[in-house]
Amino acid sequence: MKRKFDLYAMTWRLPIIFWQLLFFVGPLLFMVAISFFVVKNYRMTEAFEMVNWQKMLSRGYFWDSYWYTIFIAGISTTVAMLLAFPASFALAFRASDNLRRWAIFLLIIPFFTSYLVRTFSWYVILAESGVVNAMLGQIGLGPFKMLNTHFGTVIGYLTLTLPLVVILQTVTMANVDKTLIEAARNLGCKPLATIWRVVLPLSKTGLIVAALFCFILSFGDFVAPFYLGGSQEPTLPILILDTTKSGQQWPRAAVVAIMMMATLFTIAFAAIALAYRKGGAR
Amino acid sequence: MTEPLVTFRNVKKHFGEFVAVREMDLDIHAGEFLAIMGSSGCGKTTTLRMLAGLEAPTSGEIRIGGDLMNEVKPHERETPLVWQSLALFPFLSARENVEFGLKMRGVGKEERKRRALEWLDRMEIGEFAERNITTLSGGQKQRVALARSLVMEPKMLLLDEPLSALDANLVIRMQAVLTRLQKELGITFVYVTHSQSEAFAMADRVVIMSQGEIAQVGSPKDIYRAPANRFVAEFVGRNNILSGTVASLDGETVTISTPSGAFVATAPDTARSVGADATFVVSADLVSVSREEPTGENRVLCTLISEEFVGSMVTLFLESADGHEFKVQMQERDLIELDLHNDDQIWLSWAVQNAHVLDHE
Repeated sequence: MKRKFDLYAMTWRLPIIFWQLLFFVGPLLFMVAISFFVVKNYRMTEAFEMVNWQKMLSRGYFWDSYWYTIFIAGISTTVAMLLAFPASFALAFRASDNLRRWAIFLLIIPFFTSYLVRTFSWYVILAESGVVNAMLGQIGLGPFKMLNTHFGTVIGYLTLTLPLVVILQTVTMANVDKTLIEAARNLGCKPLATIWRVVLPLSKTGLIVAALFCFILSFGDFVAPFYLGGSQEPTLPILILDTTKSGQQWPRAAVVAIMMMATLFTIAFAAIALAYRKGGAR
Repeated sequence: MTEPLVTFRNVKKHFGEFVAVREMDLDIHAGEFLAIMGSSGCGKTTTLRMLAGLEAPTSGEIRIGGDLMNEVKPHERETPLVWQSLALFPFLSARENVEFGLKMRGVGKEERKRRALEWLDRMEIGEFAERNITTLSGGQKQRVALARSLVMEPKMLLLDEPLSALDANLVIRMQAVLTRLQKELGITFVYVTHSQSEAFAMADRVVIMSQGEIAQVGSPKDIYRAPANRFVAEFVGRNNILSGTVASLDGETVTISTPSGAFVATAPDTARSVGADATFVVSADLVSVSREEPTGENRVLCTLISEEFVGSMVTLFLESADGHEFKVQMQERDLIELDLHNDDQIWLSWAVQNAHVLDHE
């Protein structure tokens, strides 16, 4: 049977297709094109040369920045997942349905304010003469340098990701069939071991997606490493900014951006494949 | 008589204001197939969950093999349960599901695998051992769930409506599997169900529960022929229940006058007096039907209202002159010989020994 062209259905589909082509696929292709352009006398000119790729990928500072960004985003993701887990577990298994609804509502509230504003508020708390050091000073500790450190960067990332991770983990684990936990207990599984034996395998998909979101947001974030991390060790987003500022090197910044996207694509693909892998033969 | 395997002594279970089980006394003997039956909310599942340690009794004592079990945690007991939802782990293969309990008990890898495969073979699903649980059929999953519990070699197996998700012909087959297994293994089965046919088909003894209390305990035959009270008589169904007052007493039998007439019934050895209220039951399959007026003590003329066919059995619904409903169960071929039509007048009769006076209302 020949597929008929359905004008009505197409009319509804076209706007989103058009939107995606215009604002996502188009710019992306343009960025790829730019990465082959050349800059002469602070002016970008159309060309097709490999010089930007060769230069960027052979520079030590690019790779330092690349691995550092993966490392610090990875650390932040790990910390977020571990910090969130006890809270999410309690909300999923111990809290009443009503309390869980309220908790999720409250966790959404941070997103009402701009992330930039929330990041700045950490200044007051983490500064050398800030709240934390003042309190530690009372018991004779410190002052500790917390701003412009890796610690500051991670704190910034967590500000962005932690509420989201708690929400995703809670929703995932709240869907775990409680009977399966009881079944494990019935078969001799100790209470804490049920987390490892039953809860984690059952919520694997949701937990991996939560971690993936956390990593993507941290990996691409510019605010936290710039304002709280002090950017002495630049992450890739800061490297992009620096590259465009120094000598109008938009093509080289494009190379960094494409490398970031390729990395995220790879990690996201692997994570989703892992998330949906099932045990046993089909 | 040997010590019972399980004893419930004055066991109560409250959930806040709600009383799930009140003052339960029950012995479960080693090697018996006990069914706990009742409608939803009667406390049968709570009773089973207390046996598995998933709920602790509010008061009273539960002993298994003489040991007080009230506070013993579920993972410290050997009381595997077959769940209504089966509760198989979807992220494990059939074999890994069966191995789970052994793994928790620290049984080595090779030994675990060998025993799991042995049980899967025994349940005739050995070929699916490495398959993902989600790809198995309802009946196959059922067998995995049974293997997962039985591989633990327990003294007692708990079953919570395990057949309720299966279609009718599969239920019959699994009933046969369960009764055969129970006889072969010689272990105690405690089987919770709302289905009378399941309980009566498989169990040695049946506990009927109502509103957190035991209404009657007995063999399926005892419960069917001589229900202890009106609740059981109605719950078991297909019973004719007649109430009236005691007209006369004569040793083992009493004459009870009801609006449908006076009938003679056997009474258990409880003290009764003339003029007291009394109720008796006659099961529908023990009532005879005839065109001619019969000679026995117990007979009543009724009008046929309707018929209900289930396979080769037919249930007649009739009405006496005072409007009381009677039920008669008979073979379809016997009905054909009678050549009955709706609104026909016909005599019902039953033997004295088939009419049982209830112990109490």
